[in-house]
This record gives sequence, C-alpha cells and structure tokens, in this order.
Amino acid sequence: MTLSAASRSEIQGYKARYPEPRSAVLPSLWVVQHELGYLPVPAMREIAGILGLEPSEVQAVATFYSMFLDKPAGEHSVVVCRNVSCALRGADELAAHVERTLGCPSGGTTSDGQFTWESTVECLGACGGAPAIQVDHRFHENVTPEVMDAILGRSRSQPAPSVGGESEAASTKQRGEPKTAPRAKRTSRPKRAHIDPGDL
Amino acid sequence: MAEYKLLTHAFGTKDLPTLGVYEKLGGYQGLREAISKFTPDELVAQVKQSGLRGRGGAGFPTGLKWSFLPKDVFPRYLCCNADESEPGCFKDRWLIDNNPHQLIEGVLIAAYALQVETAFIYIRGEYRDQRLLLERCIDEARSKGYLGRDILGSGWNCGIIVHGGAGAYICGEETALLDSLEGFRGQPRLKPPFPALKGLYGMPTVINNVETLSNLPHIVQRGAAWFAALGTEKSTGTRLFCCSGHIGRPGTYEMELGTPIAELLENHCGGIWKGRKLKAFQPGGGSMQVLLPEHLALPLDMDVIQQAGSALGAGAMVFMDETTCLVNVSMRLVDFYKHESCGKCTPCREGTYFESALMHRLEAGQLTLAELATLEDICDNMNGKCFCPLGDTATWFVMSAYRAFRDEFEAHCGAGTCPVAAAQVTALVPA
Amino acid sequence: MANKTTTPSSSEGLAEAEKVTVTIDGREVAVPRGSLVVDAASSLGIHIPIYCAHPKLDPVAVCRMCLVRVGKMPRLQPACATVVSDGMVVTTQSPEVAKVREGMLEFLLLNHPLDCPVCDRGGECDLQDFAVRYGPQTSRFPITQKSHAAKAVVLSDKIELDQERCILCWRCTRYYDEITGEKELVLVRRGIDTVIDSFNGEPLTSDFQGNLPEVCPVGALTHRQYRFQARPWDLQRTKGICPECSYGCNINIDARDFEIKRFASRDNPQVEDMWLCDRGRYSVEKWSHGSRVRHPLIRAGGEVREVGVDEAVAEAARQLGEVLRLHGGGAIGVIGSPMLTNEELWLLQRLARETLDCHNCDHQLDELGNVSADEHSLGIAEIEDCETVVVLGAEPEANTPVLTLRLHKAQLRRGVEVRRVEHDASPASLGIKGKRLVGVIADEVHRAYAADMADALASGNTLVKRLTVTRGVNGRGAKDMGMLPTQGPGYSRVTGGKDGRQILHAASAGAIKALLLVGAETVLRGAGILAEKALAKVDVIIAIEPRAGIVANAASVVIPGHTYFEKRGSVTNVEGRVQRVSPALPPATAAPQETRVLAMLAAALGATGWGTGDPFEVNTMLSQAIDAYRGAGNGGRALWKRQGEPR
Ligand SMILES: Cc1cc2nc3c(=O)[nH]c(=O)nc-3n(C[C@H](O)[C@H](O)[C@H](O)COP(=O)(O)O)c2cc1C
Ligand code: SF4
Ligand code: FES
Repeated sequence: MTLSAASRSEIQGYKARYPEPRSAVLPSLWVVQHELGYLPVPAMREIAGILGLEPSEVQAVATFYSMFLDKPAGEHSVVVCRNVSCALRGADELAAHVERTLGCPSGGTTSDGQFTWESTVECLGACGGAPAIQVDHRFHENVTPEVMDAILGRSRSQPAPSVGGESEAASTKQRGEPKTAPRAKRTSRPKRAHIDPGDL
Repeated sequence: MAEYKLLTHAFGTKDLPTLGVYEKLGGYQGLREAISKFTPDELVAQVKQSGLRGRGGAGFPTGLKWSFLPKDVFPRYLCCNADESEPGCFKDRWLIDNNPHQLIEGVLIAAYALQVETAFIYIRGEYRDQRLLLERCIDEARSKGYLGRDILGSGWNCGIIVHGGAGAYICGEETALLDSLEGFRGQPRLKPPFPALKGLYGMPTVINNVETLSNLPHIVQRGAAWFAALGTEKSTGTRLFCCSGHIGRPGTYEMELGTPIAELLENHCGGIWKGRKLKAFQPGGGSMQVLLPEHLALPLDMDVIQQAGSALGAGAMVFMDETTCLVNVSMRLVDFYKHESCGKCTPCREGTYFESALMHRLEAGQLTLAELATLEDICDNMNGKCFCPLGDTATWFVMSAYRAFRDEFEAHCGAGTCPVAAAQVTALVPA
Repeated sequence: MANKTTTPSSSEGLAEAEKVTVTIDGREVAVPRGSLVVDAASSLGIHIPIYCAHPKLDPVAVCRMCLVRVGKMPRLQPACATVVSDGMVVTTQSPEVAKVREGMLEFLLLNHPLDCPVCDRGGECDLQDFAVRYGPQTSRFPITQKSHAAKAVVLSDKIELDQERCILCWRCTRYYDEITGEKELVLVRRGIDTVIDSFNGEPLTSDFQGNLPEVCPVGALTHRQYRFQARPWDLQRTKGICPECSYGCNINIDARDFEIKRFASRDNPQVEDMWLCDRGRYSVEKWSHGSRVRHPLIRAGGEVREVGVDEAVAEAARQLGEVLRLHGGGAIGVIGSPMLTNEELWLLQRLARETLDCHNCDHQLDELGNVSADEHSLGIAEIEDCETVVVLGAEPEANTPVLTLRLHKAQLRRGVEVRRVEHDASPASLGIKGKRLVGVIADEVHRAYAADMADALASGNTLVKRLTVTRGVNGRGAKDMGMLPTQGPGYSRVTGGKDGRQILHAASAGAIKALLLVGAETVLRGAGILAEKALAKVDVIIAIEPRAGIVANAASVVIPGHTYFEKRGSVTNVEGRVQRVSPALPPATAAPQETRVLAMLAAALGATGWGTGDPFEVNTMLSQAIDAYRGAGNGGRALWKRQGEPR
C-alpha cells in the first residue's frame, strides 16, 4: 500500500461525505498529492479501490486537471501568472527573471530540488495585484523581481508549509468505516446514499 | 449613479470573516427573515421581482432560473460557482476573503427558496486558502444552528459541502462543473436536458455565481422593490468590477449598474497610468470582445454593452494603454484557450491549436496576408459550432481586435515588425 | 440507423409509435416521436456525416460533423443529438452547412498523420470517405506544425491503437462504458493532448475487445490479427453465423484467396446486437489449418483404397446392411455433432430410425434426460423485457459470452434486475416475488436446478421463462431435430435408445457392431480413451468426416465431409432462432455435401422418397415435419406452444 493509514481514512471520510462516492475523486487525489507530492500509479489504483471505481477512471480524471502532478516535484511550488492582466504589468519580465534565477525553464525543477516553477496561462484570479504569483499555494501580489528574490530566499531556507491534510474539517469529521460492499463485475450506477444534512 | 457599496459595505471591518463580527453587523438576519417571512415559493417570487441577474457571465435572470425547477422532484441541489478563472476576474475571491459569511448566508437563502438540503460550493483549486476559510466559517455557522438540522427551528435541514477544483477553467461552465463535482473529467454536458431538470446526480440543480448569491441577504433584508430600484431597469443592483491592466489603481469596485464606464475608470481606477491614453479595453474578461475609447461613455449595463458588440460577462475590466500590442494580447488569450480547451469537441480542440499556431507565427512576423484570412475563416468555423461557449469565445477577442485594429494585424505580416513596438522605439529616438 | 433514443422494445412486433412530421431539405417525412434528426434524414435517403454518433450508443455530439440548420435556432444543431419535433424544418444542404463540414474535416485532419496507404482501414474509413465527399481539397495547416501522438500502441495481444489517427469521437470509451461496463479505455489528459489509453498503459483484459476496431470510425483501433492482411476491396463477404457457440451471432465472413481473414459483426438486434465476443471473432485462425480428408476411402485388411463417392456409399450401405441383417438395428450406433446443420441432423436421425431401425442416436455424449422446448422459451432480446433475470452459475456466460452484454444492456437501459446465483441457490432466498416476467438462465448440465428454480418462482401472476444454453453452434438444432436417444423430431416421443457415451461403452464391449459417425471427430475426442477403445473394437465404422483424426483413421469407409464454412443449410441458436448458413469457402473436396451423401446412403439401403438431399429440399421437408419450424423461416424463432399458453 502506497498511502498512509491517515490518508486512507481521510479518503474514506470524503467518500462518506457525498451523495455518491465517486464525487470523492478530486478530494482524494488532493489527499494523495499532499502526502506524496504527486500522483503515483499505485496510489490511483488505491483510490479506485476505496471508491469502487476502475483505476482507469481515476487516471482519466487525474490527468485532466492541470494542478495534479504525475511525477515528483520540488519542495516548493512557484506559479507565475502570465495571463493578460499580469502581462500588461510586467509578468513576462518577472517570468524571465525567475527563469534566470532558478536556472530552469517553466515546468522544470531546480537542480537542488528546491523549486518547481511554472508560468501557467490560466489566470490566477489576482489581476488587481498584477503581476501575481503563488508560492506553495499562497498568493503574492504586485511582485517585482526584488520581491520575488525575497520570497524565493525565504522559502529556500525552510520546508514547504505543512498543510496537514486536505481539509482541517474533513479529517476530524469521520464517521466509522463506511461499508465497502464487494463489487460485482458489472454494475450500474451505485444507489445514492442518503446523507444526513446535520452531518455536513 | 456611482459607486455603491452594497455587498462590500462592511469590507475592512476587523475580523469580518468571523461569525461574531458578522452577526453584530446584522449577519444572518437575511436568512432569519427569509425563513420567517416567506415560503420558499414566495422567496423565489421576491428574487424574480428584484430583477437580479446572474453575475457569473451570462446574466440570466436568477429568479427565472430558479422557477425552472420541476415541482416535487427531490432531492434537488444548489451549486455555488466559485470556479472564477475568467482572465481578469478576481471578485469572487475578494468576496470570499472579505466576507465569507455573506456568501454562506446567500447560499442558505437560495437553498431555502429552492428546498435544497445539500448545497455545494465549487471553488477553484488555486483558491486553497479561500476553501479552508469557507470550511471554517461553515463549521462556525453550523455551531450556531444556521445550517445543519432544523435550521433556526424551521424544520428545514441543509448542509454545505465545499468542493475544491484542481486547475481547469472549463469547470466554471455550469455542466462541466457538475461533471467535475460528480468525479468525472470536468467536461461540459449535452444540453438539453438542462441542469434545472437533470443536473447533479441527475437531479434538478441550480448553479449560481458567488456574487449572485452574495446579493441575496440584501435583497431579503431591504426588499425586492428596493433592490430593483437600484441600477437600471433591466440591470438592477450593483456589480463588482475587477479592474486591471494599465490603470492607476487596479482593484475591485462595486458600482451601481448604469454608471458610465468613464466614471469607473477616471474616478475610481485612477485613469490610465503614466499619463498615457487608453487604446482598448475588455469589459467582461478574456472571453469578451474588445471595446474602444469611444465606448467609455456607455453605462455599465448588460444589455447596452451587448449592443455595443461585447458583454459585461463576469465583470472583469482590462484596460490597455497605447503601448499595447493587440496581436500580443490576442496571442496570449488564444494560448489560454488552447491550454484550457477540454478537448471534447473537434472545433475547440483543433481550432484553438490552429489559431494558436497562426497567432505565434503572426507575432513572429511569419504570417502572410492570405493566412490572416485563414485565421478569420477558422474562427468562423469555430464560432457557434463548438460544444460549449469556451470554443466560441476563443475567437471573440481575437476577431474583434482584428476588426478594430486590422492595420496592426496586417503590419505584423511578412515584414515582421510590430508597429506598436516600432512607435515606442521611434518615440525614444530624439527627432 | 435505429438510434438508441428510439430503440423500440426488444420484442418482435411492436405497436406503431406516435409519429411527428418534419421537413428536411424541403421534403416532408413522418417519423416516430423521439427520433433524432439524423435518423429522420436517413429515412429520406439524406446522408448526414457522423463520427461520434453510433446507433448503439448514447449521443455525445462531440465531433460536430453533423451540424445542420434547425428552424430558427441561432446556432447550427448536431443532427445526432437533436430530437425531432412536430413541424420542425431542417436544412442539411446549404452553403452554410457545407462550409461547416469542410471546416470540421479540416480540423479533424489537422493533426492526422494521413498514412492511409499503410492503414488497415483504408477503403472502409469514414474519415477518408467524408473527406472525399465533404472535405476541403487542400490543407492550410503547415505539416511541420502537426502535433504528434504515439503510433502502434499495443493495447493487448488483440488490439493496437494508433493515437495519431484517433479523432477522439469517444466511441471506444462509450463502448466500454455503455456496452461492457468495463471502462478499460478512457480519455487521458485534455485539450489537444487528449489521447485514448488504458490505465497506466496496461493491457486490456476484456473478452470483447474485438468490437473496438468495429466501433472506431477510423483506423485508430485495429485488430492485430488482421493487420496488413488485406484491403477491404479484396475481400469476399458472406453472411454467416459464428461457429463458436450456440448464441448464433450473425457475422460476415470476409475471405481472401480462399482463406478466411476476419469475422465482422452483422448487427442482428435480436441476437448479438452487433457485438461479438473475442473467442468467436478470433476463432478465424482455426479454420485455416487442420489436414483435410479429400477423397473417399475404403479400408480393408490393413489396406486403404481411394475410391469414388458412389463406390464408397455402396460399400457403406453394404457393411451397414450386413450388420442390420445379422444383429439388428440395436447393434448400430449413430453419432452426429452439434456442428451439423439442421438438414444433416434431421436426415441422420431419420436414416437411423427409419432405415437402420436404430434408436441409438445422439449428437453428444452426456445423458440429457427428458428435454423439452419449455427450457428454451425465453428469447435473447426478451431478457430486456423481464423484470428479473436469474443466472445460475458462471457457465451460461462462459459458454455464450455475448449473453453478458445483453444482460448488461438490460440492466443499464431497461432497469432489469440481474441476479447471478449459485446453481443450487434456494429460490426463497432470492426474495423474488410479484414480478410479471422472470427469466431463468442455466446451462445444460444444470437443467434440473433451473427447472426447480423456475417452478418455485412461477406463481399466479409471475410468468417464468427459461433459457438453456446448449453446446456447439447447433446444439439447439440437434435437439429440435430429434438427434437424441430418447426424443425424435420436435421432442416427439420415440422408442428410446443409447446416448452417446452408452453407445461408446456398448461398442467397446462388443455389443455395438457398427458405427455411423457424421462429423463426430470432435465429439468422440471429448470421450478420450473410451472413444479409442470403441473405435478399435468395432469393425464397421462409416464416417463422413472433413478432417483427418481418430475417426477417419479407424473408419472402414470414409467419405469426405465439409467444414462448417463450406456448407449450405440452417442452424438454430439457443433461443430457437433458425438462421441460414451458406458457403464462405469453396469445398476442399469433390464429394457432395453431407445431406446428399445421406440421401444416397438411404437409397442404397433401399429407402424411397428421400429426394436428392438438396439442403433446401430437406429444409422444406423438415419444416413440414416439425410444426414449430414452419413459421420460423430464415431468421425467425421456432416456438413451441407452452402448456397453458395460447399460441
Ligand atoms: C467557459 C465558461 C467558463 C465559465 N466560468 C465561470 C466561472 O468561473 N464562474 C462563474 O460563476 N460562472 C462561469 N461561467 C458561467 C456559468 O456557466 C454559469 O452561467 C453561471 O455560473 C451561472 O451563475 P449565475 O446565473 O449566477 O451567473 C462560465 C461559463 C463558461 C461557458
Ligand atoms: S480510438 Fe477510434 S473510437 Fe476511440 S476515440 Fe479514437 S477514433 Fe474514436
Ligand atoms: S455525429 Fe453529431 S456531433 Fe458527432
């Protein structure tokens, strides 16, 4: 088994949270990525097993979303937005600066394994503070090359902030092991479970 | 008409995101009133009467959308669309960061009106802190009986699940959002059936934007008629405008609808920066067509802007000064759509790839005039032919820019010079 | 094209559905309410190009090839997913629609490798065909900018995938979703990077992979077995029935240079519903080897002589006649095979009973007891009309794999409850009560359990119908024809005789002095040492056998037989559907077909009124003799009246 007991039970918690267990795929993938830093194949198989899906279905979902990684990444993640609003205020120069500083192109990881950086084209939703970046999932706005250097310097000296599980709420809210009925080879959609809104 | 702080009036209050402070400022009174004063059907009628229109992009009348739910089919679901990823848009994050309880109250009021017992907030993966904040606030609200079982003694139960995305613009499209929420690839669904009839898990579902829902506590408390009087006849209330680009004070401003764009730009955004002139702007985010300085006089009104050939969309105003190369901006947006195309339908998947290849060659000065006509032609083959609006909108900005700045596009052909860059260079060289 | 949304109830003979009138390209047509525009158009002979739409799958409208103008709708609509409404006006032929088709083909070919000369699908590819018919003449996209995906990805020992040729129509993934439910192929990544793949590139394990190349509209999914074997225009196509089991799947047999190259599905909605299993589809190879018996032989005193057919028949008649005279018909054993046609089986049992006064006749080895038509009353398509279907044990689906797909469809589309239980499950424990129609499916070995189950479940309002999975392509026909020791044609009561195994025992004990074996090689081989002992002991062995083997080696007279694909006649599937087979290959021998040889043999033994043994003539005779076959014709079901049920 690739996943820790804590992650497995967190996934079980998500499974019980939704009207249909399948909805827990995305949160489960997040749990795995937080524990392992990326989504290894055996972990996807394990998620499928817990949620009663085919592993192929989990992989189909995992590869669709751009935030999921299929191979290990650096200790810290740096995302530089280069969409229009940021570009209008110097994102290209900032990205070029990051590339020079870190010494690897967008999508790459530094040789010391400290940073994986990317200049995604999806707008980060911080255009009012353009150019904007995210470091370890935290926003920084109005970033100049100098500010950037400071942020990178601070990050380099410490480990990535521990996120302690996907959700603070979910992990404290489990209700026993949900029954995992043995799955018939071919089944139609599982019946919708009744959820008690009081539990949500 | 001018700035009007309805949704944002309490912003800046210390610790507003905590329940105690929110309650002190009248928080959850809207929910209390909604439950005590109205039956669910009456509440739907109120929202209809308020004239509230969706703030997520399409501007569909909210009350009308709600009234499409079939009677007596349960369970029903409500999904709050917090996937906000329209280029230029950041208002939903601002609303959540500053006043999460306002949104939660809005979700609950809508859920009550729609007789929903499980509501979802689908929030984009990048908004991780916002998701955790919402989860904390929901726990707070539950502890005070605003959600959970027998809410405020009404006998009605409701829970809210916050569901995080993982990086896919298309999940903002309502049916793709549903597929993503159900644990599939976030790809849009065939319509009909519309979500109101068969949505989440095949049940009747309403999808509303964060800002749309955040209006509800105010509509209930101040009354539908009061709200309807705000703004223009068909665009009632206020809207949050995310202003970015070449302006003095980028940020989000809440304006009464009907206010002239010029007022927003000059009085609030601090005008175009560095004393430069406005060249073009986008009134509704990356998807919408470009507008020109002459359009500044237009009021912020959904229908008026539509008549001008663009749309208010998600309320993202991106201003570009005279040094902006529209070919470069177009290329960037086309690349965005190529990256975000889900790949489901042919014209969007292949068309954005084709478009992007052409735009890169145009930017590099390698395109011929004939190929510029090809660009126009393939945009025509995409627009209106794609499975969902993403593919259509992938052509809107570039085509409107091409039409408005044809010379600039043509000048990029063959010779390989960008006239804007050239002009800047000339300006630097003393005469 | 019968599309899914309009799929009529599976039972034959449906009440007229309500009609609506639509106008397409200026012509009016009345079509059933709920029809799709694409089907309405095709009923007028108007072709609308489609890629993602498939008659057996839910519409997804992703390829956008079928866009047409519908009434005043602002956008063009996909004909594959738009349901007709009364008074709808559709335009499929206009400059606007033509431009979109051209544009869509340009998009589809943008990143396509254009390797048609080496593509197996060349000549039967929708991408080629529509490009010719509706496509642009030139490409405006620089070849150097094409995005490349993997070629010749080996998905399993059976299937290869060329990701670059894939047009992402989702047919294969929907096939796995909707038809088999196994989800082995999925979409991976997104946008322009989207490809079809299995989980982690692991091999496919489905028993139904062979359908993939058939649902794929282009050359992306191909059969490894058929790669580079033939061009479609070189193939000679014959309609036939799959030889592998008693389900009776309708196939096309594609042969080139007198060799079968592939089996393709032929879509009979009542039977296989166009889906074949891999065991059947890839059994092709079996038919191209094995050494054949080409000439009649007489074996005497350790010597083997090649003779003419007439001489062989005369010698066979002489030998059989002698045993009959000296020892009586009880000393003769007649064994056929479930691979024989109805005509052959009917003549064979007649020869035994009427001419040789012999009641020891069988088509297989096991004791089947008192069989009846009742155990075959449930039709395959009727499974969808049941409320609950009980499947006893794993054998029915192991023996007739395509049954699994019908069960899945019944479950998914019609909400049928499918219960897979042990053979000896107690009916009470299943809690099935108050249902209208319940199906019970079992194999032949567990007939007794199935009978008990059916009896226990039947009650006032609950009708129970049974389906018994027979063995061999014509196992059901053999029973209907009376090629049984205890029952004659049409399950008539006859003087009983020995079953297959008893015949062999009696033969090795010396009690049976002559064997007449028709195509019995495979049956006897199943008996192992017992068959060898019997064959060694008996002196008079008359064999009509296509292949060399233990039977031909031991026989005193051998007349060359014909393989299944060289014959004309009919076979009956598990549910009683009588279906015609005709030669897909030229015979490997000059000897006449088995029916003729049997007629000659009967005549040589002194029988009269047998005719020439022409398969059609025999078919007419047997249809008159067996009531249920009169109404069946070619493709209908032979139905017996059930007790208490009006016909
Ligand atoms: C490609 C695409 C992306 C969209 N993204 C968003 C989004 O990020 N947030 C949003 O609220 N609506 C988005 N929408 C609009 C939604 O489909 C839907 O109309 C909206 O959420 C309805 O809420 P409203 O009626 O409150 O506006 C998007 C639509 C499309 C076609
Ligand atoms: S492999 Fe064939 S069937 Fe599957 S999506 Fe591609 S073209 Fe369609
Ligand atoms: S056949 Fe209609 S969209 Fe593909």
